[in-house]
Amino acid sequence: MARSSNVRILDGNNFVVSEDTGDIEATPSEPTGLFSLDTRFLSTWVLTVNGERLNALSYDDLQYYEARFFLVPGMATHYIDAKLSIIRERTVGGSFRETISILNHDEKPVDLEVRMEAGSDFADLFQVKDEILNKKGEIYSEVESDRLRLGYRRGNFKRETIISSSAPARYDGQGFAYTIHLEPNEHWDTQVTVQTLALGPGGRDLRMGLRAHGTERLALQHDLEEWVRTAPKVNSEGDRLAATYRRSLIDLAALRFSPLSLGGAALPAAGLPWFMTMFGRDSILTCLQTLPFTPELSKTTLRILAALQGTRFDDFRDEDPGRILHEMRYGETAAFEEQPHSPYYGSVDATPLFVVLLDEYERWTGDVALVKELERESRAALKWADDYADLVGNGYIWYERRNSDTGLENQCWKDSWDSISYRDGTLPPFPRATCEVQGYAYDAKMRAARLARECWDDPEYADQLEREAAELKKRFNRDWWVEDGEYYALALDPDGRQCATLSSNIGHLLWSGIVDHERAEKIAHHLVGPRLFSGWGVRTLAEGEVRYNPIGYHNGTIWPFENSFIAWGLRRYGFADEAATIASGILDAATYFDGRLPEAFGGYPRELTKFPVEYPTACSPQAWSTGTPLLLLRTMLGLEPHEGHLAVEPRLPVGMGRIEVLDIPGRWGKVDAFARGRLDLNH
Amino acid sequence: MVDATTRFFEDLDRRGYEPLLAKSSGTLRFDLHEGAHTTHWLLRIDRGRVNVSQEDLEADTVVGASPALFEDLTTGREHGIAALLRGDMTVTGDPRLVVQLERIFPGPPDARGPRRRFKGEVR
Repeated sequence: MARSSNVRILDGNNFVVSEDTGDIEATPSEPTGLFSLDTRFLSTWVLTVNGERLNALSYDDLQYYEARFFLVPGMATHYIDAKLSIIRERTVGGSFRETISILNHDEKPVDLEVRMEAGSDFADLFQVKDEILNKKGEIYSEVESDRLRLGYRRGNFKRETIISSSAPARYDGQGFAYTIHLEPNEHWDTQVTVQTLALGPGGRDLRMGLRAHGTERLALQHDLEEWVRTAPKVNSEGDRLAATYRRSLIDLAALRFSPLSLGGAALPAAGLPWFMTMFGRDSILTCLQTLPFTPELSKTTLRILAALQGTRFDDFRDEDPGRILHEMRYGETAAFEEQPHSPYYGSVDATPLFVVLLDEYERWTGDVALVKELERESRAALKWADDYADLVGNGYIWYERRNSDTGLENQCWKDSWDSISYRDGTLPPFPRATCEVQGYAYDAKMRAARLARECWDDPEYADQLEREAAELKKRFNRDWWVEDGEYYALALDPDGRQCATLSSNIGHLLWSGIVDHERAEKIAHHLVGPRLFSGWGVRTLAEGEVRYNPIGYHNGTIWPFENSFIAWGLRRYGFADEAATIASGILDAATYFDGRLPEAFGGYPRELTKFPVEYPTACSPQAWSTGTPLLLLRTMLGLEPHEGHLAVEPRLPVGMGRIEVLDIPGRWGKVDAFARGRLDLNH
Repeated sequence: MVDATTRFFEDLDRRGYEPLLAKSSGTLRFDLHEGAHTTHWLLRIDRGRVNVSQEDLEADTVVGASPALFEDLTTGREHGIAALLRGDMTVTGDPRLVVQLERIFPGPPDARGPRRRFKGEVR
């Protein structure tokens, strides 16, 4: 996939991935391009001067939405004696803008032919990694005197890329060109604007009037400054943690995404480059991580997910009444129902997690109005878990896709095909139930009981939910406990047989509170024990399991997001040392990625590799990896809303030094938290 | 025989209240074009209370579609969001109203729903 030298800039659903020269030459193995609404609008964007490609001296990604490339003529293998400098500066917002500047350093005048090759294959994001041989519609280009129009048409589905330039250019079907004359020390520039259009009949754009913030460069800059200014400040000794926090905060701003249906409000998209869209699970978990710092994201996420909650049975989309969506896409394959993402509902954890987030949000913000506003949806979500998700009739949440063609086999967070296995490595039949989802269901009932009592004025419902939760906890601790290993099984098959593999999923159970107190210590020991803990973090699957592979996507890699929830769970049960061990491992790993944690990294032992090995096709920045340092901060500082105020109970490792978090917003107004590293983790 | 579109709007008007629209307010007009002829359906929505008429008045959201597509939407044979993305249905004005209204269309008539392993009616 993308090479590490690729430069990515983005603004929500719009992003550009290019080579370090700024050029775009998309191939299945190099999925570069300008993307918007899950569609590639530019697949070729190559600048030449007098027919020669340019060579990068350096580039800066100045902000998440802008980058600058310093170039000279000639390829890297040539001796470079540049008499010309070429600077490309680009911004992505509502449209894509690029300023090309050329400086003549020679003592003689020069005549230059400057050309940009431009083209688009209008690939759906789901197709960019394939050779596109048979697009069903028609690709066209129209040359006008002041612009080049690249287009794709399939029935009423129409996408267009419109390219124009501030300096007069000659346009042709494959690009545009300038003939310029530069005297010594003279400089020339032009601003190229690329607009992406998603047109319906009558020429109206699908996205008309739907922006969370302005898209001009100055507006983007102002918006980012405001975002950083209103978020809490973090100071740390040695500045490493503070730098990681700032990186996360900025990436979070970049990942904000305004769905078409919410009139401009923003929620976190899942990640660049494949997941710049709304995901139920990812958006909710990211909100849970970031609640103490950016609570507004949770409010909009809850509202949009509620607005698109399932209302009917639709087998193609795996939709049921009350179910929270998994993924929404806007590209051609969703439009023509070649993929089910309009939206697709095939996840079983987003629905209980929706209720968990609503309660956690209220505990921080005191926003009872939103809890009342979403009462109906919360009840529908809880009903879905009890009725439609219990496919075996024994009180658990199960999954089996009805869309056997393009639906997801595994509808839990570990959604790859081989993530759920028995101890002997074989895969269980469907329906399947995974352990962490039962924990979420328990937590959702407990939290909804509080909401029913305090906000919905329904103490009977509260009693019922608590009763059901207690029964679920009892049943779960009976059916899922693996006697010979002393942990909880990863999953059950429809006959009640355990997938008795040791996995990271047991860490989620602590966070949910479904673990019996006398068993919590065993779970904590497993989590920081040698089979699961690598020194950096908790592996998705324990070393020694048949399917264990240190770079197996869900069978051995370490996912930072998951570790942040595991650490939170450990603290919930009083294992502050173990939580701090995981937190410091992950935060140490972050420093190897300039504070930007990838989606996943290898499960190799820390003493073996000395640095965390990034998973080959990891997504970055990815929302729930971006949220990870924020939740780890919360966990280490022991930030917990308590009876209307914010409790702070720091437990930091010694090496962490002093940390302060200023202006934490909540129902208490704004408060500061201070902590000093005192835990010796090497004892 | 009354067509499915008429039945859909008449049912909605008779119900008078639709809980799935409880957070929505505004006016939504459907323009169903067939050649030179356009049929209008105007919905006045006030936090779930719905009034339906066939007036051609200004509205916060105007949705355009063919009568055949709309017939398929109201019987669950077509999907509203996919039709929007495809450009077969168009929206002018506030798109939130149409996204909310889309949810009251029925699912596909042949949908089986959850495949339960035990006896017990899901629906």
